[in-house]
Amino acid sequence: MITNMNIREILKQKLGCKDEDFDRPMPVPAPWSMPFWDAARKRKLVLKKCTCCGHIDHPPYLYCTSCSEEECEWIEASGKATLYAYAVNVYGVPFAFMEDLPYVLALVDLPEGPRMISNIVGCDPKDLKNGMELKVVFDDVSPEITLPKWKPVSK
Amino acid sequence: MSKAEFAIIGTGEVPCGIYPDRSEFEIAYRVAKLAIADAGIDKNEIGAVLNAAHIMGSEFNTEAFFGRLPEAIGAKNCKIVATTVSGGGSSFSIRKTAEGILHSGETDYVLVIHAQRFSQFAANEQINFFAHAGSDLEWEVPYGMTYNALAAMMTQGYMAYTGTTVEQVASVCVACRKWANLQPNAMFRDKPLTVDDVLKSRMVAYPLTAMMCNVLADGGCAYIMTTAEKAKKVCSRPVYVLGEASDFSHRSIVNLKTKNIDKMYEFYAPVAQKAYERAGLGPKDMDIFEVYGAYPITSLMFLDSLGIVEPGRSGALVESGETSPGGRYPTSTNGEAMSFGHTGTGVGFSVFVEGIRQLQGKAGKAQVDGARFLIEDCGGGAFMDAHFTVLGNEIPNPTL
Repeated sequence: MITNMNIREILKQKLGCKDEDFDRPMPVPAPWSMPFWDAARKRKLVLKKCTCCGHIDHPPYLYCTSCSEEECEWIEASGKATLYAYAVNVYGVPFAFMEDLPYVLALVDLPEGPRMISNIVGCDPKDLKNGMELKVVFDDVSPEITLPKWKPVSK
Repeated sequence: MSKAEFAIIGTGEVPCGIYPDRSEFEIAYRVAKLAIADAGIDKNEIGAVLNAAHIMGSEFNTEAFFGRLPEAIGAKNCKIVATTVSGGGSSFSIRKTAEGILHSGETDYVLVIHAQRFSQFAANEQINFFAHAGSDLEWEVPYGMTYNALAAMMTQGYMAYTGTTVEQVASVCVACRKWANLQPNAMFRDKPLTVDDVLKSRMVAYPLTAMMCNVLADGGCAYIMTTAEKAKKVCSRPVYVLGEASDFSHRSIVNLKTKNIDKMYEFYAPVAQKAYERAGLGPKDMDIFEVYGAYPITSLMFLDSLGIVEPGRSGALVESGETSPGGRYPTSTNGEAMSFGHTGTGVGFSVFVEGIRQLQGKAGKAQVDGARFLIEDCGGGAFMDAHFTVLGNEIPNPTL
């Protein structure tokens, strides 16, 4: 049986990878996205709402993707979503993610409006269905960063 | 009616494949000389040399920025050297740059070059680059996003919402391969491919198997562009730019203009329609459809938008063989990135140059007999933009 540890050892031997090649790429928060990451660390999913036109954006950028204004407020999301479309990565991923294979990437639709790229966890990829209901879960990938991910709602 | 202000009078190309010892400079130098010879012009008439940047960055970009190419080909009267790049849409943005230079009157001849070599990078460098290229570093890369995964999500959604089958998706790869088998410069010119081969190849990013993912390669091509007026005097079979149109949608796929990925034609079709209208032609007048794909899903989404098939039914059209050699709708006649080889920003260039060859009657075994008009497209790998061009070896309704 291949364990995670020996995948890494095999790659190091065969391809000359170094330990740092396995370091996960972490988000580097921008001044305007910091409230999102601060909230995620506290296990809250928040969304940026434009105070000029009311548009809710995710990802939260400096500007509103609807009216280009900068003024905004943060609202707490319901934590619910539906699965719009997905992919299952099984091969040819950056080294940092090889130990996670297979893993699911998805376009997830929030009832608040935004569509989000994220992972679906806690589910056999074979059981995924377009339109299925999801709820947010939080993955502490480092002391500073918590990634919101999604999990099917069990019936 | 078409104004047909510009025309292409010659092309050059080298074989696409894995050639680590052939530098980008050597590719650029050879394709430039081939294009000049094909156009039959004096190199000293070239007043501008344009180049598309290497997307992974390399010494070649610096060489190009600082004018190595006009010096190498001996274009003594070159006045303008520029690099234009906009991802998968580069072949279009560089052509618009060439048109602007010609329109300004600074010169009558522009040489456009594309050269790329991926084999200089190790497999892990390529994987890491293409994981990050086009993906948002803060919001996508930390989730393990890859380029293949983006195309896979688009494929999964398109299949689920249109009822397109995985066999139909695979048939796009097979149709491309049939064309590539007729192309001496295609990376996979010697290898046949079946739907079964595609489906049995290794799963990479479900639902995409390895054979549904393009292969990065080394290659390049060039062409000479001039004014339509000049072209009529110096070339026995110029190819005219009859109509062009563009649109831009988003930076991130989550902000796609049309929320439904099975309805990408709502974004693309009006652009294609505008290109047809500007050419004074319609889908029925097209002899060839030089579609940019890079992944089968992109080909299907573009085919949905060209006015030849009911949107969402392109998979069935391809599966029927009508886009393959001998079919009613010859599509991507060089085999496209999936079988010609993916040269980064060069995918659109190779499709465009193949379109020129077809309309000049120089496409060899892949020649579509009597081809007069075609529509060509390109767009970025994150589905952010779309550019359609109608080309012809005659100007329709010139008296209108």
